Parts: sequence; structure tokens; C-alpha cells
Amino acid sequence: MSFSLNELEALAKRATRGAGYSWGQAEEASKAARWLCAQGLDGAGILAGLLERGLASQPVRHRPQAIYGPWQSDGALCPLSAGPLLSDCAHLLWSGAIGMKDVAAPVLLLPFAANAARGLNSSLTVELDNARLVTDGTRISIPDPLPTTASRVFIARGGELEAQHSLKTRAHPKPEDWATLNRFAHRTYAPATEESRLLGAGAGVSDND
Amino acid sequence: MTDHGTHIARRSPEQVMRLSRLGSLHQCRLSFMRQLTRRMARENWTFSRPVFDIDDTGVGRAVYTAQGPERAYSLVAFAHDLPPEKRSDRVIADAWDATFALFDGIPTQDDLDRLERNVPLQEAGRISESELSLSRANRSVRLWTHVVEALAAGQQPDLEQIYKVGYLMRTTAVYGSGKFGAADREMIADRPEINAPFQVEMLSVFLTRAFVRDLVQHMADVQGGATTAKLDPTIAHWLGIGNSTGLGMAPFIVNHPMLFNNWIAVREEAIARIRSLNSATPAEADIFRQVFLRSRLSVSWWRSDHPIQIAKLDSLKSDLQAISECLERNDLTGEYPWHRLVEWSETALSEEGQELLNSLILEPYGALVDELATCMADGHADSFIIDGEMLVGEARGLIRGSYDWALDLDWAKPENCARAWYVSEEKLEPRMGERFEEPIAEYEQPLAPARDASAAYAAMESYSATQPVAEFLLHHPEHRHTIRRAQMSQRAPYGEIRDNTIGASVSPLDMLRAKLSFFGATHFDPRSDRWVRICMYAGAPYPENLTTENADLWVYPELPA
Repeated sequence: MSFSLNELEALAKRATRGAGYSWGQAEEASKAARWLCAQGLDGAGILAGLLERGLASQPVRHRPQAIYGPWQSDGALCPLSAGPLLSDCAHLLWSGAIGMKDVAAPVLLLPFAANAARGLNSSLTVELDNARLVTDGTRISIPDPLPTTASRVFIARGGELEAQHSLKTRAHPKPEDWATLNRFAHRTYAPATEESRLLGAGAGVSDND
Repeated sequence: MTDHGTHIARRSPEQVMRLSRLGSLHQCRLSFMRQLTRRMARENWTFSRPVFDIDDTGVGRAVYTAQGPERAYSLVAFAHDLPPEKRSDRVIADAWDATFALFDGIPTQDDLDRLERNVPLQEAGRISESELSLSRANRSVRLWTHVVEALAAGQQPDLEQIYKVGYLMRTTAVYGSGKFGAADREMIADRPEINAPFQVEMLSVFLTRAFVRDLVQHMADVQGGATTAKLDPTIAHWLGIGNSTGLGMAPFIVNHPMLFNNWIAVREEAIARIRSLNSATPAEADIFRQVFLRSRLSVSWWRSDHPIQIAKLDSLKSDLQAISECLERNDLTGEYPWHRLVEWSETALSEEGQELLNSLILEPYGALVDELATCMADGHADSFIIDGEMLVGEARGLIRGSYDWALDLDWAKPENCARAWYVSEEKLEPRMGERFEEPIAEYEQPLAPARDASAAYAAMESYSATQPVAEFLLHHPEHRHTIRRAQMSQRAPYGEIRDNTIGASVSPLDMLRAKLSFFGATHFDPRSDRWVRICMYAGAPYPENLTTENADLWVYPELPA
């Protein structure tokens, strides 16, 4: 079944929040998943896979310890920390490359690299171990298969986009990934009570007239 | 939006963005319904009804097609036989008198069959990227029965009853942009006829009104046979489409600060342009006086049983009397007539009256105002991206700019955070509850930007003002959404509501009213502090009668001869 990108984005935001990330990261994760789907990649599956890892329970272990120097931590870097930081710090790419060590679900860095590319008005090359990806901010050239982990990430200005593919307008998530996202999203919903049914939406008078 | 040589500045966000004022806004030339009808008339759109296949029990389907210069759009309508006990406006309803989708183009038989399997189910069905909106409507049972019976008996319905209710059906939800599988706005936003906000939804309701008129005639014909009267077009003219809007819509204006900014900023720019005119011609002054009288007639038909709205209506009626007296003294021939009128209103009228006047002074000046409509969409997707290079000191300055009033508030005090917004498991719709009485706090949605801004401001205190904000955010991701909003405020000064959205006294009605006023709604009738009924398109031409002469001022009833 196909979903609109807005549906994907809305669910991804709730799921990321439900998995324990901040609202700001949830907003960014959902736009990132949408961006990946627009590239024809499996944004829902990649995000669902990351959320299953539960990195949000120990955020300090999974985020870069400092902006300067290689980005690394005690545990695997979470792309929902390293990615937003990359987008925030795009300007650092003017003076050199940004390196990261041991990144979980590294494909999720790409939408943030795309933000940086648009901000710098320059293509960026993203190396995930031996895989080389290039984005101009709108599109991306990708190797097949996509890496699922990266012990070494290297991001620098420059690079040529190879094949141009058209952007997709729908998401085609696997049912099990969609179910995973729904399961995390469900944690953000308040259980219904009779009181909230009556008060919360403000009924109580007749609808018929 | 370019500066127009204006020298009377736009009003400040501090003045405009208070909930009480937002909750007093009225429709104006820039409203989305009027933008649509003006465009369709100007571009000579044509309308047809290729399908009207409704049986004698009122069940079946119909298609209404609007053909624009480049593309067609079709309302696909399904009429149902709804048992009275199932008729509810609430979002938890699961059956309706009529259900609709706006199809992108002209549907085939297969499309209609596919939609018939899904559209009547609404949220429980799926639509596709060929559809642009999904909606449903319920009858006003009283007026519906009256009109059917009167026509079937060969008579015309009683105008008084029509004025009193205003509509034969009211929509209880109109879902657009990607909802339930529909096409995303991003897919169609570059079409000129859809670029302005909510044009899809407004077109859907415009066509729905024609369907409802035809359906009531059909049902009268079934009942009355050959002697049934044809509904007098001058009566049909006063039938709008009602709309019930609940709490779910209130968070929209908080969640879309760039978009909401554009709506408000455009209206403020329009007001500033008119206030800056150093004179008015007699013809312009005459248009204003006529529109004022017509608006006054419309207000005289505005009914509400809700205590808050009753009080506001009383003030508005006194305001109208005061404006009337003012216009007897002021013939609008002096210098800066509109500016002087607005300045007077700020000392003499309630916010309802002030905002009505601000909307009305735009009416003689379509040539100065209407072009601003092109600035009301949000085309700045990248304003979402945080500039991490910004210094902590600057970010704190931005927060002070929008939320100075909130920084000293004790946010732990129950009255300042009595409410919490949450999403219910049951219908996945936003609701508002009592933080200290219901188990909802852990599910709270980020709809208290003032409180969050205050927290981020305090958290940044331990950082040097010259550190980049990226460093702060690396260690405090819980403030990312707040820093993003603060940075957006540079481009969107009217994007932030300058009031507490979780205080004990917050009225979500104000948020609903602000949004609905931009749709062009009139006759707001709150049914509680959380949902409101309105009327859309009452007085508008029907599709087949739309002309450039009647496409604009229809919102103001003609004065009796």
C-alpha cells in the first residue's frame, strides 16, 4: 500500500517521540525519513530499524562529545544526534571535512547532509566506510546495496552527482516497518477515558439542529 | 511581499498576536473563499454535473466538475440514508449524511467505484494521490425537513428559518494534504489556482453547496411529485454550508508558525497600506459606507447561545452603532481618513469592532490589497533548518523578542500550566485536558511554545553568550524545537501567539476563530469553549451563476431596496 509523504512524516514524528527522542529531534527525524522516501529509499524501514535499537535511553552515550575533532562517543553515534549537529554545523565544512566514528543507521545522516549542502550551496560527498554518496541537497547518488553500519564516516564539500533520478511522491513502507513505527507512535497517545471523551474534545451538547 | 512606500507601519506583533484579538478576527478581501471565487470568475471557470445518480431514498452518488484554464477538479459526492441516532458532528462519528472527495481531474467509472468503497468510510477508508481532499457533512435536520416539506407541498421555505440556521448541511471535517492517502500539498502547490492556502478545501465546500441544493430539491421532488416547487434561487442564495470545527484545528496555528505569520503579516500589510493613503475619493468612501451597512446587516443575523459569544456580539453591536455615529461626523474627506478612523477605533471600540473595521477598510482597495494574496502560502521549507552558528546571546535575544512576557512567569504555578494538549489513543486527534486532574502530562504535545521558550532561555544562561547555539543544542536536544521557532521568528514576526496556550483561562475558541476567519467564515457560533459552528458561502453565487460582478462582495448581504 502506498502512503502520502505527509502520512509518513506524521507517523515518523510520533514514532520518534514515542521512542524517547526530543520533540525537535522527532521533527527532524520525520523530515529525514520523508526525504529518504522521496529519494526512493526505505525511509520508514531505516527509521524503524534505528528506533528498535533504543539509543534514546542513553542519549549521552550516543552523541558526539564535542563539536570540534572527530565526532564519537562511548557507544555507536545516533544519527538523530550526529545528523542534526551536521546540519547545525554545516559552516564547519568550509574549513575542512567532518569525520565521525561508528554511526548507527548511517543512511539517516544523508538528509542532514542534504540540509548542509543546500545551506552551503555546494555538493557534499559522504563516505560511509567504503561507500561513496554524493548529494546536492535535493538529490543523491547512492551505491547499491546501502551500508547499514559505518565505522568511519567522512563528509566533505565537492563531488559530482551521477545518475539523476526523479523524486518520488509516495512512500511504500514494508507493513512490518509501518507496524513498528505505529507501535512507537502509540506510546505518545493518551489512553482514552470517558472523561476525556466528554471534556477533551468539548462535546456535551446535542449535535442535531 | 514588498514595501509599498507605506509610512504607517504595520501593527506590532505585541498588539496583534494576543489571543483575545486573534479570537476577534473577521474575514476580509484576502480570505481564502473570496480568493477562490474571484479567481474562478476572473479565469472564467466552467462547471458541470456529469453524474447525479441518487435514488428515491436519497442514496447514491453525484459528480460536480469545475473546469479551470488548465485543469479540472471534481467533487465526488455520496449521499447516504443516515439513522438519526448516528448523526453526530464529533470526530468519533462513523457515519454521515453525505461524504465527499475532491478528485484531481475528471473521474472514470473505475475511480467512482473505488471511491464508493472508501469515501463513505472516511478515516477508515483509503484514498489515493488522485484525490485532494476527503470530507463529510450532516444535515441540519430541522431546516432540511422544513425545506423538503415546503417544496413538496408546492411552497417556498420560510426565509426566517433559513436565516436562523443558515445551511442545509454542515461539514464536520474537510481533510486535505495527504490525509488518509490523498495527494500531498507539495505535489500540487505549484499550480497557481491551488498555491494560496486551503484552495482545495474551499473549492470542495463551494461544490458541496451546489450538491446540497440539488439533493434537497431531489428529495422534495420524490416526496411531492409533479406539483413540487422549485427552490427559489433568491432563497437558495442564502443557504451556505455549515461547518463544525473542533479542537483538532487549534494546534494548526501553533504548529505552522511560518504559514500563520504569512496570513497575519499580509493582512497587517494590507491594513498599513490603506492607513497610509492620504485621502479617499468619494467613490472609495462610498464603497466603504455601503459595505459597512451590508456588514451590519450580516451581523444582525449572527446568533449564538454561547455566553462568551453573546457578550462579544453585544459589544460588536454597540461598536457598529459607534462606527455609524462616527461616520455621521466624519465624511472621510479629510487627510489620512482610514488611519484616523482606525486610531479612533482603538480608543472607542472592542477588539471585535476594531478588527471588523480593519477588515472593512480594505474593501474599496482591491487594486492595492489583492495582490498580497500571493504571499500567504509558506514557501520557505528550509526555515526549518537550524542555524547552529548563531550565538547563544542572539538566540536568547530572539526569545526575548517573542516571549519577553513569558520569561518571568512562574510556569510551575498551577494556573499557568493548568492545561495540557495531548493526542487521544481513540481517534488520534488533539485534545486539551486538565494537567492536574487527568493522567495526560506524560503525553503532552509541544503546544506551549511560551513555556518551552522560557525553559530554553533559562537553560542557555549557563552558556557563554558568544558560544554557537549548536554547542548548546548538542547537549540539550530537548530545546531544539524551541531554538528552531526562535530562529523562524526572524522571518516570521507574527508566527508566535503572545499568550499562554496552557493557562487555566486559555480559550481554544480564539485559535479556531483566528484560523476560520482567514477561511472567510462568518457567524461564529461556539458550542462550547472547544468547538464552533460557522457558515461558509452563504450569499455566494452558485457555480453556474458565478461572474466577476458577484464573485467578491457576496459575503455582505445586499441591503433591502
